[in-house]
Amino acid sequence: MKGNRLQVAALAVALLVPALGGQCLAAGKVHKLGLSLAITGPTSDAGNPYAKGVEDYFRLVNDTEMLGEDTIDCMIRDDQYNNDITKRNFEDFLAEDIIFYLNYSTGSTLALKKDFEEERIAVMPASFHAGNTADTNYVFLPIASYSTQLVGLGEYVAANHNEGVAKVALFIHPSAFGRGPVEDLQKAIKAGLKLDIVEVVEHGKDLDNTAMLKRLMSKGTQYVLTHTVQSPVATMLKDASGLGLTAKSFGEAGKLTFLGCHYTGGNDLVALAGDAAENFHWVTSYIVTNEPGPGATAQLQLAARYGRDDKAANSHNYANGMMVAQVVTELIKRAKAGGGEVTREAMHRELLAMNGDRSFSPGTTVGPVTFSTTDKAGVDTLQLYVVKDGLFHSSGLPFTPVYTDKIK
Amino acid sequence: MATNRWLATGNFFSSYREEQRIFFTALDRSALLAAVCLLALWPLLVTIDSKFMLVIDTILVAVVAVLGLNLVTGFAGLISIGHAAFVGIGAYTVASFARLLGENHVVLTHAWPLLILLGGLVGAAFGALVGLPAMRLKHLYLAIATLSFQMIFQWVINFMDFFNQGQTIAIGRVAWPGGTVTRGQHYLFWYYIILTVIVVLAFAVRNLLRTRYGRCLIAVRDNDRAADAMGMHPGLTKVYAFALAGFFAGVAGGLQAYLYRGVGIESFTLHHSINYLAMAIVGGLGTLHGAFWGPAAIKALDLLVESFSSWVGEILTISGNLATAFKPLSFGLVIVLFLMFEPRGVANWWRIARSYVKQWPFRY
Repeated sequence: MKGNRLQVAALAVALLVPALGGQCLAAGKVHKLGLSLAITGPTSDAGNPYAKGVEDYFRLVNDTEMLGEDTIDCMIRDDQYNNDITKRNFEDFLAEDIIFYLNYSTGSTLALKKDFEEERIAVMPASFHAGNTADTNYVFLPIASYSTQLVGLGEYVAANHNEGVAKVALFIHPSAFGRGPVEDLQKAIKAGLKLDIVEVVEHGKDLDNTAMLKRLMSKGTQYVLTHTVQSPVATMLKDASGLGLTAKSFGEAGKLTFLGCHYTGGNDLVALAGDAAENFHWVTSYIVTNEPGPGATAQLQLAARYGRDDKAANSHNYANGMMVAQVVTELIKRAKAGGGEVTREAMHRELLAMNGDRSFSPGTTVGPVTFSTTDKAGVDTLQLYVVKDGLFHSSGLPFTPVYTDKIK
Repeated sequence: MATNRWLATGNFFSSYREEQRIFFTALDRSALLAAVCLLALWPLLVTIDSKFMLVIDTILVAVVAVLGLNLVTGFAGLISIGHAAFVGIGAYTVASFARLLGENHVVLTHAWPLLILLGGLVGAAFGALVGLPAMRLKHLYLAIATLSFQMIFQWVINFMDFFNQGQTIAIGRVAWPGGTVTRGQHYLFWYYIILTVIVVLAFAVRNLLRTRYGRCLIAVRDNDRAADAMGMHPGLTKVYAFALAGFFAGVAGGLQAYLYRGVGIESFTLHHSINYLAMAIVGGLGTLHGAFWGPAAIKALDLLVESFSSWVGEILTISGNLATAFKPLSFGLVIVLFLMFEPRGVANWWRIARSYVKQWPFRY
């Protein structure tokens, strides 16, 4: 009897071991990634849809077996826009052996830059601050930097202004994020860009901008270039509209034309400012969902597939998160196709090789994503959008600012 | 008094000198020694993730800062809501050298104990400066004066190019006799350094409270006119209390700069000042060991709320807004509950537990 039992057990083991072994071999690899961002707290209005974009795209990758039997495990942690928590999250991710890191704010990217360098891990933040890429080989911006965006807006104003040199005011966030591009615009002016900066305003938490707007008018300002977040811009637009100072068309004489960089615009601005957002000019490298196209369709389908509401689905920050997830997925695909292990080194190598024939078009951006040892910004082209009837519509074709190279 | 001091139930003093001892009983001394040994040895016995080591190091830095805040607010009774600015001054003292000499200059990497000490001294100087209004101001007015300092500090850092307009100023890796501290050793190395600093500073505070300078602080807190009548100088005592607090905060700032390997204004805002004050209140104002309980309790609360928010986020669709509210809600609630039901802080629980053990098996 005892002998029979042993024989049965031996047979079971003999059958199960190859089966389980085969299953393990067939299960594929799990590629671990980390994302730390402000899902709650300051700037979570941008961070929340961004996180959803990242999460949904990686779910799609796994659900549709885009990487074959391999899967992506992207750990998403809320850092509440607090650098100390970001650092803790990053250490946590390292313990989990991540191969790529997605960061969020300007402050935390600058604070952790040395860690990224020491860990030799490629990082893509949601901040497009040009300083993020200085003195490091591992930080890559998804799209053109804030500096490029502001210079791009300056070029657009200079090219389309009719009489003499355009007088502009800059309305910026009182932080490194806000101040970063100002110097580059000033450099561009020195290099020949026909603009006159009459004032740089670092906004506070003002509930009323009447005095500021009157002052700008008294100085002959014609254009206000903004680089901050949406709510202060919305406050200013509403005040300008109430005072009858908003230009109905670009460059209308005696009025103010408002323009802004990536984080000033999007549907949230229209929701906050209402009719006062009309004729607001916005520049970004992302597509908008109200203009049909394969990227917009993919974005809306992804959001619908995972039950996101309209606000998230149409957010440019959802596109932003989706796009970085697309880039990372493409890097894993390419690293796998290369035949080697998908490691931090391989991801970094593939990122640096993403140019020329190997550039990547995710569809959610207005141009291809290219990186190299000298190009740390993914999408170099910008698209200008203008608010008409409560929606952002593209104006002209995507462009690349010429002064960006001149001031390097 | 029992002949065997190990079996003493209660404290019996037969002279003023006895009452002023650092350790009342041999058990106290042994227990503290055992606790310090345990704190020194456990990292060698247990492997712990860098994430948790960073949390522990952050708590220890906060302990140094709250030791100082406890001196000015707990012992001297002077409210300060600009403590993070003093911590920032210590950190920016170190960062100034990085700006002037470069982040990897030998001064920063090898003379780091001196720079941390210098951070404390600069903090003390600013503490004395901010303490000057305390000679004429009290209560809410003094709170506003310290708040003003916090605002001025933030404004200056945010707008001065020298301080990189508040952006992170990197600090290089330090060296010690064993060579440069590597990334793998970083958090453990700083654990031991901060622990050493805490032991030294805690003994300094305990000793200070045994001296007339320490008793002056308490006398001025309890009744500054009476203290004046007894020959003390309330004004100078207040200035010196702020200077002491500034020194502790400055040392904490220097340690933080090296621990985080960078200094940015986001770590020294009004929010952080309020956090330090909350730590002092929750730990127990006017008690030495309250400075240890408070940071541990508040940081533990932070982590718990984070986990709870994350858990809620998984089960509720409205989690975004709800989770945003949890942290300030729980933080505020804990402060209010402590002020209402346990104004003497966690330190009082410790006192009750000790009394119970000391008097056991008697109930009184």
